[in-house]
Amino acid sequence: MTRRLAMLALAVLALALALPAEAQKKVLRMAFRTAETGFDPVRAYDRYSVGICENLFEPLLTYDYLARPVKLAPLVAESIPEPEEGGTRYTFRIRPGIYFVDDPVFKGEKRELVAKDIEYTIKRYRDPRNRAAYEWLFENKIVGLDELAEKAKKTGTFDYNAKVAGMEVRGKYIISFKLKEPDYNFLYILAMPNVVPMAREVIEAYGEDTMGHPVGTGPFVLKEWVRRSKIVLERNPSYRGFELETRYADPNDEWDRKAMEDLRGKRLPQLDRVEIYPIEDEQPRYLAFLNKEHDLIDETPVSFIQQVLPNGKLAPNLARQGVRVFPELEPEFTYDVFNVEEIVDGRENVLGGNAPERIALRRAMVLAHDRKQEIEIIRKGQAIAAQSPVPPGVVGYDPSFHTAAQDYDPARAKALLDMFGYRDRDGDGWRETPEGRPFVVQYKYNLGGQEQRQLAELWVKSMAAVGIRVETLAVQFADLLNDKRVGHFQMAGSAWIADYPDAQNFLQLFYGPNTNQSNEARFRLPEYDRLYERSLAIPDGEERNRLYREMDRLLLAYAPVRLGVHRIFNHLQYPWVKGYKKHPILYTQFKWLDLDVAAQQVAMK
Amino acid sequence: MSAVLTTPAQAPVQESPGLWMLAWRRLRQDTVGMVSLVIVAFFLAMMLASYTGLIAKDWAKEKGVSYANPSFLAGAENLEAKAMAAKDAAAKAPPVDLSDIDPLAPYYGEWQKRAEKIAVTEVKRAETLPFGGDKWGRDVLKKVIKGSEVSIFVGLAGALIAVFIGTVFGAMAGYWGGFINDLLEWCYNIFTSIPYILLILAFAAVAQATGSFGKGIVSIILILALTGWTGPYRLMRAEYIKHANREYVKAAQAIGASNRSRMFVHILPNVSHVALVQLSAHVVGFIKAEVILSFLGFGVPVDMVSWGTMLAEAQNELVIGKWWQLAAAGTSMAILVTAFSLLTDSLRDALDPKLK
Amino acid sequence: MTAYVIRRIWQMIPTIAGVILLIFILFNWVGGDPAQVLAGKISNPEQIANIRKQLGVDQPYWFQLWVFVQQVFTFDFGRSWSTNEEVSRIILTRVGPTLTIMVPVLVIETSLSVLFAIMVAYVRGTLTDRAIMIICTVAMSVSFLVYIIVFQWLFGFVLGWFPVQGWSESFWKNLFTYAPLPIMLAVFVGVAPQLRLYRSFFLDEINQDYVRTARAKGLPEKRVMLKHVLRNAMIPILTNVAIYLPGVFVGSFLLEVFFSIPGLGREIITAVNRSDFPVIKAVTVYLAMFTMVVNLLVDVMYKFVDPRVSFK
Repeated sequence: MTRRLAMLALAVLALALALPAEAQKKVLRMAFRTAETGFDPVRAYDRYSVGICENLFEPLLTYDYLARPVKLAPLVAESIPEPEEGGTRYTFRIRPGIYFVDDPVFKGEKRELVAKDIEYTIKRYRDPRNRAAYEWLFENKIVGLDELAEKAKKTGTFDYNAKVAGMEVRGKYIISFKLKEPDYNFLYILAMPNVVPMAREVIEAYGEDTMGHPVGTGPFVLKEWVRRSKIVLERNPSYRGFELETRYADPNDEWDRKAMEDLRGKRLPQLDRVEIYPIEDEQPRYLAFLNKEHDLIDETPVSFIQQVLPNGKLAPNLARQGVRVFPELEPEFTYDVFNVEEIVDGRENVLGGNAPERIALRRAMVLAHDRKQEIEIIRKGQAIAAQSPVPPGVVGYDPSFHTAAQDYDPARAKALLDMFGYRDRDGDGWRETPEGRPFVVQYKYNLGGQEQRQLAELWVKSMAAVGIRVETLAVQFADLLNDKRVGHFQMAGSAWIADYPDAQNFLQLFYGPNTNQSNEARFRLPEYDRLYERSLAIPDGEERNRLYREMDRLLLAYAPVRLGVHRIFNHLQYPWVKGYKKHPILYTQFKWLDLDVAAQQVAMK
Repeated sequence: MSAVLTTPAQAPVQESPGLWMLAWRRLRQDTVGMVSLVIVAFFLAMMLASYTGLIAKDWAKEKGVSYANPSFLAGAENLEAKAMAAKDAAAKAPPVDLSDIDPLAPYYGEWQKRAEKIAVTEVKRAETLPFGGDKWGRDVLKKVIKGSEVSIFVGLAGALIAVFIGTVFGAMAGYWGGFINDLLEWCYNIFTSIPYILLILAFAAVAQATGSFGKGIVSIILILALTGWTGPYRLMRAEYIKHANREYVKAAQAIGASNRSRMFVHILPNVSHVALVQLSAHVVGFIKAEVILSFLGFGVPVDMVSWGTMLAEAQNELVIGKWWQLAAAGTSMAILVTAFSLLTDSLRDALDPKLK
Repeated sequence: MTAYVIRRIWQMIPTIAGVILLIFILFNWVGGDPAQVLAGKISNPEQIANIRKQLGVDQPYWFQLWVFVQQVFTFDFGRSWSTNEEVSRIILTRVGPTLTIMVPVLVIETSLSVLFAIMVAYVRGTLTDRAIMIICTVAMSVSFLVYIIVFQWLFGFVLGWFPVQGWSESFWKNLFTYAPLPIMLAVFVGVAPQLRLYRSFFLDEINQDYVRTARAKGLPEKRVMLKHVLRNAMIPILTNVAIYLPGVFVGSFLLEVFFSIPGLGREIITAVNRSDFPVIKAVTVYLAMFTMVVNLLVDVMYKFVDPRVSFK
């Protein structure tokens, strides 16, 4: 009996000793702001799913972690190709020796990544069965691809074996793309985390379930997935590993310095496990970070910003714990569009067209809108007024471009309205049109968000102060998207975040032919379109910046849009998270993070 | 036999008091009931005063600084207001000139002259308000009063319509029976089989998308009424079934009363006490439902305030220490709902003494 | 008896048909085009049309309705439009967390309510009775939303007794770490109305003749309450509990949203927001059927428990 007891005690002791070894695993826990949908890079359409894909798959190119402004870096490709043939040909050479993670589909063989894999992915984008949200990246781009896509739409199946003239696979590792027209931003497309080489056998084996079976070459693998509740990534044991590139680091930047210090000599990735919990509601997400249930929080909810950064400095209780805050001016643009069509829903649109009195009405509304209150009260100071659609940090941004045409000035707004005949003739407190007809402007906004509701409130208040009547309508998300796309609205709010760091990605929002897609204002000004088309054909430089400046001025004059803001997001981390630096384009930074497990355990007690 | 018939002393004729008189007397003796009645009456009076503009007319005016502290916390820190004041116009590059492409360029001169003539009055914002301010600096006390008006109105109107629909359907089903009963029972089964939140969300989504429920406050009233008629229907139907075979109804038939007359002139007064209690209970239920609907975003429109919108706003304010909007809306709602519930109970007791 | 059951089952069919029709009309009339949500940032009308084709919503209405009916009979509602996950899997995985919260809530709430109700019925008419009833009423008048906000802040954040939110894989960890705060909240809010209701049931029984007889026989009051009143009052109590059963599966979406519990209630809200029709269809039809079955079982149980009840 005693012997058995002793054995038991020994077993328990052994177990107890084994456990601390287990506890040394570096586990990062964090939350996502909205729920994910799945991890098939071609089928996923929301930022967070794509962010996970970033860690499971590897595109040909990526961005350097520390370089600012952002710089492309080769990943699966050996080097960044130079544009050939006037910006219409790009030839990539894939690095040999990169392998997909093991999967039963490969039948025990190690599967190497080859050039054909990226050709396959691009074809998948045009396959109607995938209803890819990013199909537009490859529309009207690569020679021969559109014809294949047309055929697929007619027959219902995509012929993956057909050759595409614009995608020449030369041997195992080389692929050369031929574009229909010059595009100097093509390299950015191939740096997007959802444009990645994929193994055809895997996709064909998993059919409809590819969202849950990601098989890539990346530093992490999907270990566990409870939909909309928990995502667990674990280190890919067969990953080749890399070290932090410091060539572009800025020795004067404290984040670069600390990252270099923390990661010196370490083989990346360092994290063993990442646990991600989608939490849509702000309060629980914020409280989870404060309670140390999570190690970092991306995009601290704006409602709590005064608690975190009272008067712009980190709160003392957080500072004492060593929390660090990374304020990031995201390359995004939040704005309100006016539908400038003359006829909307079969009725005359008081905001539409380019007649002087219509322009005057739009400009007056912009002047009457209290952007200061928007920034200070709704966004708690976490935004800067936009001077043009292009945010700072993006190629083509002009820091010297500044306008007063959108600043809050109710006196000038009233003067403009009076001047063009928008007066209150019947004494009901609201202005009528120059022809004497009463009018109401309708603002549609997204149902279910407090912030959206407050933005609507601000419009109603600001316009009422100058005598313009605005009515608001809360609409379901899907319906709002549709309404904006087809022009079934008068005014609505919108936001655009950079897909790639070039001004073109923002200025295309007002390009005439993009009406019914991203040009929600339905703005069709021939001068603007001409300038835009010219800018597409030239690379970044003085000439292109001049064209952009002209386009910005036209937008200010014709006012199809109230420029709004560029938002600032604050990312918080506890001191045991090492190597952190938020990248403007990359969604996650797991592969560069390290964790001080001992400190984490101590703090959690 | 006497030739003279002496009329015996007449006993004083006693009018047998009706149901309502009896109920009122019983209610009067119920202290809790009377107190609740007074409180409810007070709220209704406040609602009328607010509706006619006597009080809280300027609830939307931004009198205070952002998140103004309540007067009893006058000294406390207000980081939000400080932050707003601290921002000043940073030095900027000279603004870009638009005159060469601007269609409005010809009017610049006149524009400038007119703008100068328009006076801009800067209103000084108060540092504190009686019960604090919300994020825009609006007076929480006034918001609560106005919010009560809207919430109570939504509750009352919704309950009235729901009970009306339920009574009419219940009367038809209970009185006629047969095919009509089967049809209405079928409707009832459908509505009660679908989980309540799904039903509400579906109707709310319909109301939002198509606007077929009318704009603004009308749509939320209709949503509540169209999903809430089932309770009254059930009870009224049971009552009508009970009464339809009673003798007084047969008597009414004998004197030639039409079916409709029998249903609504004869039977209805005898079952109206059930309807009244249902009405009272549903007012409470709908006021609480409005809060949830506002939280989900289906509530009253942007230019109105209700308890629901105040609580939805207050959600994120607690964590940053601004508790007054939550307290004001939560407390006033609690008081009214408690009073209404206790009144409902007392009414039920007063109208149906067997339940004692 | 069998005839009764069969007749009831037969009667369920028109109701299910009605439910199908109502949901179909509501969500097709107004449902928001799911293709818009799935279409991504830049899509032309052609791509959107393609998505609609893939989802099958470009078919004429009568065809879609026919597909819906078929789905009901085969219990296969296909895949979610937004996540492509099989709907049946979605429901099965979501029901677990919801039940982990709601079953303890139901059990604790019912037990506490019955216990308190009996105690209050025992002292009926006294000041204590009145006072407790008023406290219940006051407790019921505060919005659930307010409770959640305050409790989460107080117990989770300020005092740190429970995690603010979250869920894990392990059932036991869920039950003992993450579930307690939401369960406590739901019980706190739910006991008051139950207490009032059960008290009225008990009072109904106490006023019956047989109770007077028992007392006349000389039984102590406690024995009267526990042996006779309680047993008889259990019928309406259990009926009431049974009526709540379908609600247990739906759970409280407010709790699930605030505490990040991956349950069915939250799933419904998400599905409606994303116009994810397959999920909405499946949940509605399953719950409607479940409700009807439970109602039938309750009626049958009544017959066994109280032989005076007859079937019409």
